[in-house]
Amino acid sequence: MDWQTLIEEPAVIAAAVLALGLVVGYLVGRLNKELLTASGVPETVEGTPFERTAQSIGTSTVEIVARLSSWFIYGIAVLTAIHIAQLLDTDAFWNQVIGFIPQAFIAILVLILGFIVADKSELMVSEYLRGVKIPEVSMIPKLVKYSVLYVAFLVALGQIGVYVFPLLILLVVYAAGIVVVGAITFKDFLISGAAGIYLLLNQPYGIGDRIEVDDRSGIVQEIDLFVTKIEDDSEEYIVLNRRVLDDKIVRVRD
Amino acid sequence: MAGLDDVFGDIFSNVDAVMLFGPSGSYYERFATIDDIDVIVVGTENDLGADVFVELPLEFDEVGERISFGVEGGLEQGVIEGGDELVCATSVFDDEIDTVSRVRASADDRTGIYDLFAKSRAEPEVIKAVVELAIELGKKGQKGKPVGALFIVGDAGKVMNKSRPLSYNPFEKSHVHVGDPIVNVMLKEFSRLDGAFVISDAGKLVSAYRYLEPSAEGVDIPKGLGARHMAGGAITRDTNAIAVVLSESDGLVRAFKAGELILEVDPEAY
Repeated sequence: MDWQTLIEEPAVIAAAVLALGLVVGYLVGRLNKELLTASGVPETVEGTPFERTAQSIGTSTVEIVARLSSWFIYGIAVLTAIHIAQLLDTDAFWNQVIGFIPQAFIAILVLILGFIVADKSELMVSEYLRGVKIPEVSMIPKLVKYSVLYVAFLVALGQIGVYVFPLLILLVVYAAGIVVVGAITFKDFLISGAAGIYLLLNQPYGIGDRIEVDDRSGIVQEIDLFVTKIEDDSEEYIVLNRRVLDDKIVRVRD
Repeated sequence: MAGLDDVFGDIFSNVDAVMLFGPSGSYYERFATIDDIDVIVVGTENDLGADVFVELPLEFDEVGERISFGVEGGLEQGVIEGGDELVCATSVFDDEIDTVSRVRASADDRTGIYDLFAKSRAEPEVIKAVVELAIELGKKGQKGKPVGALFIVGDAGKVMNKSRPLSYNPFEKSHVHVGDPIVNVMLKEFSRLDGAFVISDAGKLVSAYRYLEPSAEGVDIPKGLGARHMAGGAITRDTNAIAVVLSESDGLVRAFKAGELILEVDPEAY
């Protein structure tokens, strides 16, 4: 048996592909890790429960993502090698498997990302609401977290081809509910905010001017996005900015 | 050492409460195990999550001021009562607590220094930011030269009606607040302008270049202070504003409320 025939032996090609796959997979994993570290991912995910869980089992988020990309390439290499060596010969089956693997890979990536984003947003919202000292308020960060997680799961399931239509409907109902409730409850604030932007940009009246709004007259003490504070002899009226535009404003000049 | 305990034991015998000024976490923990004594933490920030906390607006360098502010704050919040015997533990030389002094809280003779920050019209953070700004300005001056400045904080509507512009208002149609990092630089540059800065309750810079026109009757400020202090002190009597004045001649920062000098700090000491 000479050189030529040896190289054309399927088993040898398969072995070569396998070896190449292992090397490339390892290198991609390393590169990925370096890139993620260089772009500051470890600092960003620091402190999130996912990272803490990863730490407790002796690894880290960056390492898991890097490993994942390595395994992905290993998997392709192994499958290709098996295919070349013709150990199994059911093309249809392999096509399916090969088609499925990238999807599964993306699904796992989406899940990891989802967990991190969910934890991060929970942290941010609770940080933002820290000044509000109502016990019930601690529910809102949780709600945000699980909403993000739900979407991430939905994307992941959709990626691997699970039937998610009913779950999607649930999401739409949920989102529509939030939008409708938000629009109704915050209607006054939204309008006031828009009016406030006009008042702040154009300043038809400023601090120190005497104005009359809503049958109340006094000296303007403060204008912010939502309200105007008018003071008259130690009585301070706090008028929503939408009232200022709905009603007439009278500037009293003496 | 038992002999020393006998002598110094007087300092902390029969006290009603302990005030800890800026204690470290482990130091505070040690007090938690002692029963039947009230522990009051005083500091610029409640990072220990202590139940009873009095906030200091500034890192008072002067121990006397620090303690009197803490005691007044405690009285105001009702965590201590007039006549209580207090032990105040604070630091003089290092960051760690190294000094203990015994103080009797008296409800009568208060300097109003706590009221200045906590009970003025403007928000405490705004007053704190303005005082800090004045201190910084006093420390560095403008381009190395000493400057004077006059900030009128709170009740801006009334102050605007009791003053007139000396020139165009550089803050017209701008929406900047004290405490924004860029604003400090702006204010430093503008401090060469004559007249007063007017700042609203929420910290918005309403105007610079204001000539204050209060009636100066019955204003009692120490003799020797100039027109800037007189104008600042007088406007606080006419309105509910407070005035923070940086003196050009002696470099001190003074705060006035209701026409009275409440706070006097030397920027160099911070």
